[in-house]
Amino acid sequence: MNALRRHRALERIWASRPGWRGKLTTVNNNDIGLMFLSLAVTFFAVGGILAMLIRAQLATPRSAFMGPDVYNQVFTMHGTVMMFLFAIPLFEGLTVYLLPKMLGTRDLAFPRLSAFGFWCYAFGGSLLIVSLLAGIAPESGWFMYPPLSSTLGSPGINADFWLLGITFVEISAISASVEIVVTVLLYRAPGMSLDKLPIFAWYMLVVAVMILTGFPPLILGSLLLELERAFGMPFFQAAAGGDSILWQHLFWLFGHPEVYIIFLPAAGVVSTVLPVMARTTLLGYGWIVAGAITLGVMSFGIWVHHMYATGIPHMGLAFFSAASTLVAVPTGVQIFAWIGTLWKGRPEMHLPMLWILAFFATFVMGGLTGVMVAMVPFDWQSHDTYFVVAHLHYVLVGGFVFPMLAGLYYWLPHFTGRQRYFKLGKTAFWLIVLGFHGTFLLLHWAGLLGMRRRIDSIEPGSGWELINLLASVGGFVMAIGFALVLIDVGVNVAVTVRGRRNPWGAGTLEWAMPSPSPSYNLASLPKVHSRNPLQDDPDLPVRIARGEGYLGDPGSGLREILAVEIASGRPSCLVIFPTNSALPIVMAFVTGGIFVGMLIKIYWLVPLSVLGVAALAAWWAWSLGNRGDLGLQPVGHGLVLLRASEVARPPGWWGSLFLLLADGVFFGALLFGYVFLWTVAPNWPPPAWLEPGLSGPLLALGGAVLAFGGIRLADRAIRCNAGPWLGLLLSLAGLAALGSAAITVLARTTHDAHAYDATLWVVAGYVVFHAAVAGLMTVFLVLRAGAGYLSARRIGEARIVRLWIDYAVAAAVLGLGAAWLPEVLT
Amino acid sequence: MTDILRLSLPLTAWLAAFSAVYGLQGLVCSDRWAEAGLDLTAGRIALTTAWAAAVALQLVFLVVLHSPRFTSRSAFVHGVSRTLAVAALVATLWTLLPVVTTSACL
Ligand SMILES: [Cu+2]
Repeated sequence: MNALRRHRALERIWASRPGWRGKLTTVNNNDIGLMFLSLAVTFFAVGGILAMLIRAQLATPRSAFMGPDVYNQVFTMHGTVMMFLFAIPLFEGLTVYLLPKMLGTRDLAFPRLSAFGFWCYAFGGSLLIVSLLAGIAPESGWFMYPPLSSTLGSPGINADFWLLGITFVEISAISASVEIVVTVLLYRAPGMSLDKLPIFAWYMLVVAVMILTGFPPLILGSLLLELERAFGMPFFQAAAGGDSILWQHLFWLFGHPEVYIIFLPAAGVVSTVLPVMARTTLLGYGWIVAGAITLGVMSFGIWVHHMYATGIPHMGLAFFSAASTLVAVPTGVQIFAWIGTLWKGRPEMHLPMLWILAFFATFVMGGLTGVMVAMVPFDWQSHDTYFVVAHLHYVLVGGFVFPMLAGLYYWLPHFTGRQRYFKLGKTAFWLIVLGFHGTFLLLHWAGLLGMRRRIDSIEPGSGWELINLLASVGGFVMAIGFALVLIDVGVNVAVTVRGRRNPWGAGTLEWAMPSPSPSYNLASLPKVHSRNPLQDDPDLPVRIARGEGYLGDPGSGLREILAVEIASGRPSCLVIFPTNSALPIVMAFVTGGIFVGMLIKIYWLVPLSVLGVAALAAWWAWSLGNRGDLGLQPVGHGLVLLRASEVARPPGWWGSLFLLLADGVFFGALLFGYVFLWTVAPNWPPPAWLEPGLSGPLLALGGAVLAFGGIRLADRAIRCNAGPWLGLLLSLAGLAALGSAAITVLARTTHDAHAYDATLWVVAGYVVFHAAVAGLMTVFLVLRAGAGYLSARRIGEARIVRLWIDYAVAAAVLGLGAAWLPEVLT
Repeated sequence: MTDILRLSLPLTAWLAAFSAVYGLQGLVCSDRWAEAGLDLTAGRIALTTAWAAAVALQLVFLVVLHSPRFTSRSAFVHGVSRTLAVAALVATLWTLLPVVTTSACL
């Protein structure tokens, strides 16, 4: 089979359906990556227009351009759109598109999950845009502090759009992260051990784990605030035992890591692009990996530096001030590694390199003002002023947008297959960089002169007028620059000539395929021996196209891909990927029912949509797996491997593990909130602690033993090729008992009496929910066993269900224990 | 998987210890502490003990990651995990230093 016939055969297997309908059913990483990118850029334009409105308002004193109510919506939506609808989806899109290629594989771990995530993003983002167009957009600032954002400060529907819309969008971040972690750990070219990972993959592994641990506190906070707004559960109301500071903790537990979640992908782009531009290899690979991991973990220990002005005791402030200064060290390690890389190479001043230099200058300045505001006394002075606004734009625009523009111009030939010809990009570069510093360098100064953030007009004679006028001019110059970038890219995509493959002479595998890349990415999977396979072997693309790697034979007609062992990169099993399907978009639509039902207060829609999602998920899962043992399959080069459905820990098990990590952080944040209120909230203890009684604890104990033991009994039966019925039945009974134990907690409390009762409702609701999910999965397993999908070898599905049952048991024991503990203690 | 644990455990332990000591400080300064009949001196002792325990735990990690029995077979993971363990030790020493240098509840 020659390269062209192989190409056609693989395209038939991997491509999406033709036309725009194909986009609705596609599960291919190339399509979904581009859809993410284009939607994120659209939202960037929306956020940019909002920014221009802000600058127009503040250009002159006592401006009558917007009233305060409109202005509040405009700045809230500017921050919200840029953070949640632009920055995160943009790097998700870039990663969805590029990561499988860089890793030398054909797609991400769970293609349908990518599509589901994209549609959740699209629908959730649309909700927010609808609110903006209707003039009922969120108006409490992008961090939504109660009581300003609770019914006390925002009685309308505005805040609900934020809480529900953002949570809906967050589903896409969680699903993308599960994908990214499992892809980096399991789906790589054979031979790509951990030390040979492209550096971008390391960064994205860290970022994805950070999203899984950083977003759940925000999702929890949004849920609690929405419950307070909808049903009067007083989590944040001091009079009823709540505390509005709890929101700030939950928000910044997410919010600070978020800054690094946005910065690290950009740093990954810099670490990828910089060595190529400097015609050398990256200096200090191991140090950079260590720096990225350290930065990722440490960013979780500094959230309180956003709360210095809330009256926290000195020692608490000192902990977080110390930790915030420490974070500069791993950041510095990366910057010095980049400088060293430049030093040992021969940098060429192409456009991507210019953007990297702009990033250096801007980000270092933003980092230094960051160390300044990490100091408590300085922060007390500059808190809530334009100094902070300027600082955050330096780190976010300098630390994210500029590197992404470097990436855009670096990978543009890869995206389009064309040579960049029109040179508008350089003009745009100067307009953006000068416009940016013209705006925000000056605004530091306005902040030091006492200009508070979020004010809708400035007074004549305040001394801020000229600064603001100049900053507005700078802002518009920057906006023209961004418009030029769009035009530049559009023109280059449309009319320039075809370029050659790998114009920069890069060493990573995304350049080892035709560009724009075919739907299957790699015609065969290469064996990798170093971090820069293309530099070792310039002929590699040809040999890949000739099918000389693994899985070069498209004869099976299936979407075949290899999974590898985590550490060594040795091939471990053969995975068959699902094909195009409308299921993801339908499921995202039905998921939307949960949020829209809450939003417009049609509450019956919520449980109905939950049931719909459960049914669709079952349908989704049913289509996977096989009814017979297929045994060892040839994958090329004489290697034979088992199918993923015949190994004990299939990719789905790993996906569940990391999803449960996020779930566990959510639960941990909930227990933290409980302990926080118990220690700090003014109106505690509540009038009465919950009496455990006898039935609840007995049900919980018995249920835990049955559920935990039952699934193990079933597991043993499956391994002996016997019927797992008894074990599954016991497990089911155990889960039912756990759920009933939690219901006794609900029955003995009133949801809106006190923050204590409200918290117990959420804890017990969490237990009921997880018992129900594990129960449904057990029923599913019963049906699968009946239909012949399980065997001693095909035990993976049972192991996935076991993981979920174990989690439900642990959550029930911990959660119900925490609910009953105070009464037992007193 | 064990290599991933080698890389992530020491820093995660720092984060857990850091959050726990911060929580303990909150408890020491709350009414609950006084209700339990404890004073600020007891609070300071508790905080300092927790700090010492966190440092000791990090030292254990360093020793274990050095020992031939537990170290990774990959030279790369070996090197990076040791760097990270040192970073976690430094972080534990530095970020919890305030337990002996500042007032607890002002
Ligand atoms: Cu921060």
